[in-house]
Amino acid sequence: MAISASALPHAHAEEHHAHDHEAELRREHLMLDPKPRGELNAMVMESMTSTSWKFWVVAGILAVIVAVALFGAWGYMISEGLYLSGKNRPGYWSLFLVHTVFWVGISHAGTFVSALLRVFKVEFRRPFTRAAELMTTFALAQAGIQIFAHMGRVWLAYWMFPIPNQRQLWVNFQSPLMWDFLAINTYLLASTMYLFLPLIPDLAMARDRSTGWRKSVYRILALGFRGTEAEWTHLRIALNIFAFAILPVMFSVHTIVSWDFAVAMRPGWSSTIFGPYFVIGALQSGVAAVGMVVIVIRYTMKHMDYFIRKEHFDAIGKLMLVISMGWAYFFFNDYMIQWYGGDSFTDALLHFHEAGPGGWIWFMMLITNVAIPWLVLWNKAWRRNPVLLFSVGLLINVGMWAERYIIVPVSLQINRMPFLWGQDFRPGIEVPIFIGTVAFFVLLYMLASRFLPLVPVWEVQEGQMAHSIRRYGKEPVVSVAELE
Amino acid sequence: MASLPKIPEYKAEWAEGEAGRWGIAIDMDLCTGCQACVAACSMENNVPFVGEHDAGYGRQMAWIRVERLWEGEYPEVKATPFQPVMCQQCGAAPCEAVCPVFATVHSQAEQINLQVYNRCVGTRYCANNCPYVARVFNWADYSNYPEPLANQFNPDVTVRRRGVMEKCTFCIQRIHKATDQAKAEGREVRDGEVQPACAQACPADAIVFGRLDDPESKVSKLSKDKRAIKLLEDLGTQPRVTYLKGGYHGNLG
Amino acid sequence: MTEKNLLLAIFEDIDPAARAVDKLRELGVTDEHVTVISGTPITEAMLGRKPQWSNVTRFALGGAFVGLCVGIFLAYGTPQLYPIVVNARWIGVPPTIVVMFELTMLLMLISTFLGVFLDSRFPNYTPTEYVPEISDGRIALLIECAGELERAVESAMHAIGAESVKRAQAEAL
Repeated sequence: MAISASALPHAHAEEHHAHDHEAELRREHLMLDPKPRGELNAMVMESMTSTSWKFWVVAGILAVIVAVALFGAWGYMISEGLYLSGKNRPGYWSLFLVHTVFWVGISHAGTFVSALLRVFKVEFRRPFTRAAELMTTFALAQAGIQIFAHMGRVWLAYWMFPIPNQRQLWVNFQSPLMWDFLAINTYLLASTMYLFLPLIPDLAMARDRSTGWRKSVYRILALGFRGTEAEWTHLRIALNIFAFAILPVMFSVHTIVSWDFAVAMRPGWSSTIFGPYFVIGALQSGVAAVGMVVIVIRYTMKHMDYFIRKEHFDAIGKLMLVISMGWAYFFFNDYMIQWYGGDSFTDALLHFHEAGPGGWIWFMMLITNVAIPWLVLWNKAWRRNPVLLFSVGLLINVGMWAERYIIVPVSLQINRMPFLWGQDFRPGIEVPIFIGTVAFFVLLYMLASRFLPLVPVWEVQEGQMAHSIRRYGKEPVVSVAELE
Repeated sequence: MASLPKIPEYKAEWAEGEAGRWGIAIDMDLCTGCQACVAACSMENNVPFVGEHDAGYGRQMAWIRVERLWEGEYPEVKATPFQPVMCQQCGAAPCEAVCPVFATVHSQAEQINLQVYNRCVGTRYCANNCPYVARVFNWADYSNYPEPLANQFNPDVTVRRRGVMEKCTFCIQRIHKATDQAKAEGREVRDGEVQPACAQACPADAIVFGRLDDPESKVSKLSKDKRAIKLLEDLGTQPRVTYLKGGYHGNLG
Repeated sequence: MTEKNLLLAIFEDIDPAARAVDKLRELGVTDEHVTVISGTPITEAMLGRKPQWSNVTRFALGGAFVGLCVGIFLAYGTPQLYPIVVNARWIGVPPTIVVMFELTMLLMLISTFLGVFLDSRFPNYTPTEYVPEISDGRIALLIECAGELERAVESAMHAIGAESVKRAQAEAL
């Protein structure tokens, strides 16, 4: 299908200004800067196949880190016992749970970008939906590793499965951990299927223009997709169902993660606002991580500067700002109620948050989650600066890590038996395992970028067909047709 | 379908004390803080010693602890009385509901809170949800004693391996021994016939164990004493341990 | 109509493709004998064709119902079958709702996913009529016509502006 990429005709010289504006619009927006499909395909194929030796050096280093820091350290801990971690009484839960929540939070970005923005037909999402969906799947895999590392007897993890056994024991559906297990599994399966469905046409595209082993693998993965009307119809309906249905699943996942804490009989945890507070926190860290990933792929992968533009940085920056405001609202809500309640244990806990040995982390959380995004992201030029946006994204993720750190190990130090209040908290083997999961996430992402088309070409082309510039008076304005 | 146990719809339907069968009364006015109960409990229940380093880091595994706190600012301090705390065997236990694999359940016969070591997968949620912080976790295989030290283990009690939660059981092995004996002789268990290790070892007789469902038992009478209090009673956990506190101990607690 | 031939007409743009569909109808090739293959989604309305039948929604609803039942059985049924007392209370309605919700969503999405497979007959690795240009944005009409019509269809397609018209050959994808 040809795309009329030519500028609209200009009869009069005095329209010069408007013409400039139009050229500017085309430079700015990917959707207004169409290329023939064949060229888009070639660019995406080339971005997958042109790999420099630096890539393999980085991948090799990451693989070593994964082998040693993640599987090595974790295996050692499994064979030795959890005493290698920093846990004690009363800090029964600690960094493993912090990191579980951290990765589940990151995983929310993919669904947010590709489902919520798809439902509302937000057009700037098109080039990076898949990049975000990949994050969901890979981040959930890391969350799974962390939650398994957390278990005392991980080799019995299958006892959490709701399967009948000869002891006539099922599982306890009253336990928030059971809900967690179901919700995270649902989310992992749903987001993987949601990643795969829109990938099928792109896999077929890759199958059509590759040779050798790539061809045979793409051939199997593309399932024989040709692009008949019927296939597109089924796909479109399924994507619609997924986009709507995965949103409540996403909300339920982090709400249930928050219930692990909120239903417990503990000062500081037993908070009715934890559900939405955790959801917004997850979006905060997730969208910030999408920003970081988008910046990295734009500057490291070939041809990505065409697909990912400043407009996308701008849009993600705005999202980060709005979500940061939402996070501040929920944080204050949670804090206010607990502070006003005046329960002596809660008072002690709030004091411990701010003035205890980890007090600086509490303040750092507020600075990186609220102060810095608000100071930076209001400015359009700063939002469009990749270095600045990347730094803010990184700091937000540090801040969100700190938030979970405050909620899990720090809050655990204060309980209702002052005799067993804790102060002594040291990180142990959780640190290498966390570094290992970060390396594993990046490594999986890098390898996937060599193999999966990171840009959904057909969605980009569909968007470019839907966009046109029309004149309103002398002003060129963007108009979007609804093609679906 | 197995016959359903009688379970009330709401927690509030549980009448106070009605569901309790076994209970403890601890007279804090008598307790001297000698820690004999801690030692006896550890020996009876094969509670391992974790070593100096881990103990210093808060990984002690004793099922009972003797609490004592200072009140006020130094030097105007006053000691609280010694308070031995073990699992309170709550009637409505917060730890039970949160276990995903039913590793901690309520026993129908003894009306106490069980920990099934074999079933435990080590999520440690129960410990977080215990308001009394009564649970301890096997962070390592602490019970790997070299020979001949392993001979000290009580054969009536299992030895737990790493990764499982454990806690006070009211010495359920002794309860069973006594009830089996009583059943064989065709009678009810007599008051005072069962004694957990802590009560047996207490030189001041500050710990009294017995049946709460027998109004004539010593523990029932002590539980209704005007000095009786329960720990964190307002949480609605219905603890089975009663503390008696009345006298003023001066600066010595 | 003894002989059936498959012709593959490839168009560069949507307008000639839409005209070609009309022209084929005039020639007596009905809609069910024409398959449209494209690299970007094309709705039936764009080519003036009848809407496609899809069972994906039914699969989704069926899966949701099964998931609901499984959820109720797991959360409410298994404690009845194997009663274990925890926290002095029976499994209540709120935890059942959580489990019900998750399993409804899970089975609904799995059956939507499998519905796409069933409806589209995925995976299908047998040789089929296809040309790689389609994923370059071309629109292909796969026309099933009687042998005597073949010549007429071919020339009509060329007249409308088809890039190429040829006998479709089943090839390994």
